[in-house]
Amino acid sequence: MSELGLYRTMLVSRALDDECMDMLARGLPVPHFHSGAGQEALSVGGAAGLRDSDVVIYSHRGYAQLLAKGVPLEVIARDMFYKAGGSNAARGGVMHVSAPEIGVPGREGVFGARFGMAAGFGLAQRLRDTDDVTVCFYGEAAGARGPLYEALNMAVLWDLPVVLIAENNGWSVNSRTEWLYPNARMSAVWRGFDIPVTVVDGNDLGEVRAAVGEAVRRARAGEGPSVVEGLTYRLHPHIWWDDAAYVPAEELAEAQERDPLTLTRAALVAAGTAPEQLDALEAEVAEEVRAVLAEVLAGPDAQWDVEPRIVGVAGV
Amino acid sequence: MSSVATETRVLTGREAFRAGIREEMLRDERVLVLGETVRSGGAAGVVAGLFDEFGPRRVIECPVSENGIFGAALGLALAGFRPVVEIYSADFLLAVANEVMNDMAKWQVQHGRPDEPLPIVIRGCMAATEGLGPEHSQSMEPFFLHAPGLELLTPSTPATAYAAMRAALAATVPTLVFEHRKVYELSGPVEGGVIGERVTSGADVTVVAWGWMRHEAAHAAERLAADGVGVDLLDPVRIRPLDLDPVIASVQRTGALIVVEEAFVTGNVGAEILARVAEALPGHPLRLRRIAMPDVIHPYDARLERAILPTADHVVAGIRTLLGD
Repeated sequence: MSELGLYRTMLVSRALDDECMDMLARGLPVPHFHSGAGQEALSVGGAAGLRDSDVVIYSHRGYAQLLAKGVPLEVIARDMFYKAGGSNAARGGVMHVSAPEIGVPGREGVFGARFGMAAGFGLAQRLRDTDDVTVCFYGEAAGARGPLYEALNMAVLWDLPVVLIAENNGWSVNSRTEWLYPNARMSAVWRGFDIPVTVVDGNDLGEVRAAVGEAVRRARAGEGPSVVEGLTYRLHPHIWWDDAAYVPAEELAEAQERDPLTLTRAALVAAGTAPEQLDALEAEVAEEVRAVLAEVLAGPDAQWDVEPRIVGVAGV
Repeated sequence: MSSVATETRVLTGREAFRAGIREEMLRDERVLVLGETVRSGGAAGVVAGLFDEFGPRRVIECPVSENGIFGAALGLALAGFRPVVEIYSADFLLAVANEVMNDMAKWQVQHGRPDEPLPIVIRGCMAATEGLGPEHSQSMEPFFLHAPGLELLTPSTPATAYAAMRAALAATVPTLVFEHRKVYELSGPVEGGVIGERVTSGADVTVVAWGWMRHEAAHAAERLAADGVGVDLLDPVRIRPLDLDPVIASVQRTGALIVVEEAFVTGNVGAEILARVAEALPGHPLRLRRIAMPDVIHPYDARLERAILPTADHVVAGIRTLLGD
């Protein structure tokens, strides 16, 4: 994907978040929406450029991860609003978007199981003698759970092609990262495995791409797992009921100064892209996302046409 | 060659479980064994020899990391493999209740693919033998009975062990095979086992029992037969989904039902069976009873443990009480 294409994916994700925030502000329901605003560089830089046969386990703010892996915006939106034509017919909503044919198997419900799953996908890739990789995003919540240790131990032990991307966005719901991790770093402990552990500016698309690119290269070459921790910031509240009053205004203002969209735009301009071209792109994306959402919201609700077999006592 | 004679192997329960796994591994190279100590045969020797036969890419020795292992099993299954994952003792499934009940059981439905198979077999040794202590002796079926999306098998003989392992490997949803430690030591024919067996026929009382309790119930039936009491003893083998039709048909004849179970009595499988039968036969005069492990934490001392486990004596006494003798 070109630099401009990456920026475009970031813009689509932000526009989705902005539209959803607007709907919430108007009192409309946006079920299980967790804004990924502020984390687009880490998400797109971590998930773009992979093969369909590479696996991405996305995090719950990772709409940009899904987009970068090739999941269409309308599928994400249909799942979010329980509309027909999404990936799960209202059975999992936006928390369980999947597209197995392009390496998006879905997401666990209780944060933490994803690490064992990542080891399992990596083991499958290894047993098939491919050079495919598994990229697993995770936030402060999942990363504090024991399954990460267990799975990373297995991944190191077996040289599995797994890339872990820690999204250090400053908050775990309304708890500060520094209250949960020593020195507010999610990856420091994994240096003990003697594997590459890189901490990058998660808002710097170039830095993220370089670090993840090296981790993916190593994984493809059979050199085992790596951890990339991206330092970023959650620009929107945790979820709809959260007013984020606990976020200091000054801190938020500083984070907005370092908005990855602003930084990526500036980098593109510095590299010679005409600002007018970017203006046009931004307007085009905003309009496109608005149109997609309007069409999705006007569409039919998902029907319960995927009722599972009853697995239980016969006759009930 | 048109001989109708089929080979009849006589194996132990342990060997019968192994035969079911091994034959499927020979047939389908996507079948993998994962677990702790599986390289050396696993917790109870069920997978002994498979590492030497199939090698480290088919029999995967894992660290003592149940969350990691069960998560990996889910990932492997979604990636097209057919993992058979061993839990060191069925009690330890509580350490991975999340992976099993929140992830494996729900995955295909919540991702919109309810008809896509998710072939994961979870198996391990279970239940009381001689003083293994309270966290290595429990009967775990009731904990998992409550979860939609799983199948549960609780074989009782070498033949049903083999049949259950084959059924588990053929299942399209994650399936748990609870291997009673005492069943490992039984010896008998392997072929001919079915999921749902009538152990004895009788007109006076219906008894449902599985796992080791089938044998306690069978001893009881034998003793009662000498006194002219006929026991219709049914071993469902599969607890979920449970084929209730033979039970209901039997109770329609006998009007009396006892479920014999090694799990703690409160909230056990028997409670569900009695409720379902009562619901299925409104207005029918019914005598219902459970014989089960009391809600007592297993003592380490085997002598104390023996005093609380259900036995044939309890079954005989329970049937006599139920029938008003």
